[in-house]
Formats: sequence, structure tokens, C-alpha cells
Amino acid sequence: MIRIVSLPKAALAGVCGALAWTAVLGGLQLLGKPSFDIVKELGTLAFAPDERLGWVAVGLAAHALVGICWAVVYAYFFWSRVNWPPALQGLAFSVVPAMLALFIVNPQFELMHLHREAVLLTWQTALPTISPAQLGGLLLGHAIYGLTVGAIYTRPVGYDAEREAPVRHLSRRAALKAPRGPRQAGGGFMFATGIECSYPTIEQGRWRRDQMAATHHYARWQEDFELALDIGITHIRYGPPLHLIFKGPGSYDWGFVDEAMAFLHDHGPEPIVDLCHFGVPTWLGNFQNPEISRALAEYAGAFATRFPWVRFYTPVNEMYVCARMSALDGTWNEQRRDERAFAAAAFNLARASIAMTDAILAVRGDAIFVNSESSEFCQACCPDPEIQRIARFENERRFLPLDLIYGHPISGGMRAHLRDHGFEERDIAGVMAHEVPARSIIGVDYYEWNERLIDSDGRPRALGELFGWYVIANQYYDRYRRPMMHTETNRMDASDGPRWLWRQWHNVQLLRSAGVPLVGFTWYSLTDQVDWDIGLSRTVGNVDPVGLADLNRDIRAVGLTYRRLIEMHRDQPGYSDCPALARVLAS
Amino acid sequence: MSGFLAAHGYNPGPTQRPFTAGAVAGLLATPPAILVLHLLGSLAVEARILGFSLIMTIIIGCLMMGIAGTVYARVLGRAANDVRGGWLFGMAYAFALWASGGVFVLPLLGNGELPAGPPATGVFLSLILWGGCLGVLLPFVHRRIHLKFDEPGIAENLGPTLAARDPARR
Repeated sequence: MIRIVSLPKAALAGVCGALAWTAVLGGLQLLGKPSFDIVKELGTLAFAPDERLGWVAVGLAAHALVGICWAVVYAYFFWSRVNWPPALQGLAFSVVPAMLALFIVNPQFELMHLHREAVLLTWQTALPTISPAQLGGLLLGHAIYGLTVGAIYTRPVGYDAEREAPVRHLSRRAALKAPRGPRQAGGGFMFATGIECSYPTIEQGRWRRDQMAATHHYARWQEDFELALDIGITHIRYGPPLHLIFKGPGSYDWGFVDEAMAFLHDHGPEPIVDLCHFGVPTWLGNFQNPEISRALAEYAGAFATRFPWVRFYTPVNEMYVCARMSALDGTWNEQRRDERAFAAAAFNLARASIAMTDAILAVRGDAIFVNSESSEFCQACCPDPEIQRIARFENERRFLPLDLIYGHPISGGMRAHLRDHGFEERDIAGVMAHEVPARSIIGVDYYEWNERLIDSDGRPRALGELFGWYVIANQYYDRYRRPMMHTETNRMDASDGPRWLWRQWHNVQLLRSAGVPLVGFTWYSLTDQVDWDIGLSRTVGNVDPVGLADLNRDIRAVGLTYRRLIEMHRDQPGYSDCPALARVLAS
Repeated sequence: MSGFLAAHGYNPGPTQRPFTAGAVAGLLATPPAILVLHLLGSLAVEARILGFSLIMTIIIGCLMMGIAGTVYARVLGRAANDVRGGWLFGMAYAFALWASGGVFVLPLLGNGELPAGPPATGVFLSLILWGGCLGVLLPFVHRRIHLKFDEPGIAENLGPTLAARDPARR
């Protein structure tokens, strides 16, 4: 696992740690307790002991610089490896520099202070004696440093949701890396990727996770789009940061998206714009707020008006996952853990999706909607009636948001469950009373953890790829009978990415040959992601190597594999002119 | 150890050439370090300890720094290619080199002596400077020598049969 490091935070922690060491040990010296004076040790390498001002300044600066270097090492290698309070993590880490200081650095400094050019290597020169006071001071100094660094270096990714986000507007377009033609807006099969853009809050709404910030997309957006074009990507799932753009009713800050959209307009890939991805602006609260549908409809309408050339939209991404993680698993946003809250979130998300769709259609009547949802499936482990019931219920629950937006009859068991938690028939009918746009595509996402086994205790366990995307996507097709797209997949184990890509692709081909109208495939995402291995639940900064390229934008093997896949298929009949997409466009 | 290496993305990408990039960046970072060694008298002392002429000491030094750059680029992998943080990585790596090489290797290779006084300070400062330069240079050097996407053979083993099980496993 690669680690994201907040360099400013690490630098601050390192400087503060060095200063805290100096202050405490300096205080002890003032009280007449002799100890290890690191500032003097360093400073007198450059200035004579009687030039106090000089050696204090140089010593402090050198100590701060060493403190920064060690803090960076701490941030990359040690931070959050154990689940201890942050200060204690730092204290444990400080053993490493303390031992190095004791056995290597301090003896070297002793040598540097000699008025000779060279000495013979002996035990005395390699390990000079150190007084107990100096030893105590050295160990105490490192302990203070470690405690300080540990206490300061926390939450390397994300930002305070209540304050002005420390994210700058997108930079202006730079010169193109290579000549680019105009954007192709054809009707061929969609070979897609996405820019990971999740922005839920955690810590009861106080801390914003922002994947575009963590992956440096705001700074490197043009490089990202050009990389996608180099790979051969035709479509890109793109989620402008709702929480930064939508400042309040009627108030928008388009500086976070204008330049990017202008590039996509001119050169492609064609965007599938994702308007709400696991979070809402702080002023809207969370998904328990019934007002979000009205507010998000306003935003969708404003977006469609500003960018009238956009054809593809995902109004709300993965409504089921969003409702589950926010209101049932207690991880994001409202962080609730109850069935009523889940139902409320699912209804609010479905209402928002429908209202946003209507708002977009009012601006662009021929818009196409890709309603992405995570493909889920639960298998009962055994014939126990209760275990069977849980699996059956979960397999109904996964459809709830899509049932609401597509007007599909909700099963009797799910209706009874909703009734038990305060949702009456009129609530269901109220949401479903709308016309479903003909140009709607079901996006079915698939990861290896989407298949679960309900164990004998009634708990879900990850099954891995047992039935596969073909089987599970078919269940969604059988239920809704709409054109489909594979809208997300990736692999946490980067070395297995190419194999996983081809296996998913073979699933796509099999489903196509079975007559299911499939319009596209997506490797998600273009670059590596951050902290998805822990479901964005904490701010650790783990880099998940799932991207077509890493966070330096160096292509991974799976990126080259996807390039080869696209080259192999894009000009083939059935892909260069995708009949399923043509039927959607003609509807 | 493998966990620590993995922390930096141990496997290089298919277009990366860490050995070449590391060697080139390591060599390019050496002249400023040699200047510091010279100014603080370390170069002459090292030459005397090793029993070489100044020129030969510089040549051997460049060679060693090229190798050290190669190890840096290969082991620290993707972190070493981080444009923002590379300099700090390079300095931390050089610090580790100093802590081991300065203390143990030089006396073993030479007449058993260690630099002391200003020459010892020069060894320390030159290595830290070298590390900082290495860290800054490597991402830029590496980008210039990446293999192209359409380089022959680069995607040779990435075809559709990858979906099948490894033929060695039945």
C-alpha cells in the first residue's frame, strides 16, 4: 500500500517536535539540570561556541530540518500502522531516531567537533562515552519530539467541512501534450473510465473526504484527461464537486469545473456527468434532509443550462450504497444505524434522482441517463429459514432505490418492512408517480466484494467472484429490462488488475451475446484512489492501487491492458457502431 | 521489510525504467556534492584514506552515487517519482547512506581512518545535498526516459488469455 502524505502537516509536525524538544530541554538547563543540547551540537559545527547568536540560529534551523525529515519518514512508514492514540504512535516511532542518534549520529557529531582531519576507527571513536545526563536528555528529547509529531500529524487527507475548503479553482488550460482532435460524440460502444470523485463527510459531518483533492485531480485535471485520451478512452465518468460548486440556493462557484468541462467539450473524452456522489454540500446537511431533492434539482438544472452540450448524466451515483453507508452502516454523512434512517435516505435519494432528471430534461430533452448502482448479491449459507429470510430480504433491499426511480413494483416483504418503519403506500406511490425517461441506462458496478454469504450467525461475509458479473447483472436486467452498462470495476491487487479486466470483459461479451443491450464498459478509475480499502471511514491516506495509472500519472499494467483491449475492439462491428446505444439515442 | 517496500509501491510500472533513471539522476546530483566535499576539505581526506588520487576518488564517488541512485529509484519506486515530496525522500535516503556508509564503509575500504572535524561535516552535508538533488531530479529524469505506450513488446503479455488461469496451475 502506498501512502499519501500531507507534506505541509508533516513539516509543521517536524518543526513543532524539534521546537518542543528544544524548549523542554532548554528549560531543564535553565533550572540547572544538565542534558543534551542538540542546538549547540549542531550550531557549533558552523560557529564557534562564543558566537552564540550564530550557533543558536544555525542549530535551530538544522534541528528543524532534521525534524521535518524524520516527520516525513514517520508519515510514510509509521503513521496509522497501529490503532493507538496518535501521540503514542509518535512516541513509539521516536525509538528509531533515538537509537540512531545514540549509536551513529551523536558519535559522528563528536568526530565533527574534533580539531583534526581524520581519526583511527576504534571503539572509542565509534562509540564515545556519553554521560547519564546527556543520555537522559537525548532520550527525553526524542520522546518529546515523537509525542509532538504524533499529536500533530493526523488526518493527512480531507478537510474541515465547516470551513472554506483549501482547494483552489482549476488552473487555466495549458498547452496540449500532443495534438488532439475534436471530441467524438458518436454512437459507438463506450470504453469508459472515471475520475474518482466521492465527497462524503465523516466524523458527524465535520470532516470532508474529497477524492478529487486526495488524488490531486484539481491540480492535474488536464494531465488526467490527456492520459485518458492516450489510453483510448471514449467516455469518462466525471463528477464535478457538488459540495464546492453549489454554495447555496441560486449560488454557484463554477471555477471548480468550467476549465475541465471546456477541455472535455473540445477534445473529449465525452463526459458522463455524475452530479451527486455520496455527499451533499454542508449547508444541505445530509441525506435525511427531505429538502435535498428540491435543492439538487435546482443544481442539476443549473448545470445543464451552463453546459448544454452534455448528453450523458448520472443524477445520483449508487443510491443503495450511499443510503446504506450513510444510514445503516453508520460510516458517512448522517452516520445513522437504523432501518428507518436507511429508508428515509433511500427515498430522499430516489426523489432527488427523479427531480434532477426532470430538471435536466427541461433544459435538454434528449439527455441520456446512466443510473449507476452497485450490483449486490447475498447467498444464504445454509437451509436455516432465518438465514434464508435474511438473504432474501437483502436481495430485495438492493433493488429499492432503482425500483423507486424506475417504477418497478416493490415486493410484498419490502413493502411490509417499509411500513414497519414509517413509510406508507402513499409515500411509495408518491415517489413512483412519474414517467421514466426512455433514454435511461442501468449502470451496474461490480467489485469482488459485491457477492456476500450470509453466515450461520446472519452476518454477511465477502464471497469473492463466485457467480460473477454476468449472473448478477442479468438479475438487474431481468428486473428492469433496460439497456445496461458496466459502470465500475477495479482490483485492489494491482498485479491482478490485467487478469481481472479481461475476466470482466469476457463477462460483458457473454452478456452481449445473450442478447442483453450493453452500451459500455468502465474501468474505475483513471488513477489510484485513497482510503477505499477502509471505505473512506477514516483519514489514513492509504493509496489503493486500482487505477489505470498511479498518482504520479505513470501508467499501470492494467492501463496498458485496457489500451490494448480498446484497440482490439473499437473498430469491430458491433463496437464501432453499437446497436444498443443507437436504439437508446433513437428513442 | 516487504511491507515497508510496498509502502512505496514496490513494483515499477510497465513504462518505467528505474535503474536507468536512478543512475542518471544519481550522477547528475553528484557535482554539487563534490563541490561541498572540496570546499570543506573532505575530498582530500577521503582520497588519502582510500589511497587514491583526487581524480580517481571523484570517479569512484560518481560511480558509487550512480549505483546509490539506482537503488533509490528501484526500492522507493513510486514515492521516489513524487514531484512534490521527492526531495525529502532523497534527503532521508542520503541520511541513511551517511549513517551507514560514513561510519562503517570508508574505514573498511581504506586505512582504517574516519574523517573528523570539518571534513566529517563535509561528508555529511554533501550527502544530504546529494540526496536532496537526487530526489528533485529523479521524477523529471524518469519522465523523459519512460517507454512509449506503443513500444514493441510492452503490452505483449497483456492479452485476453490473461483471463485464463495460470497454465502452471491446473
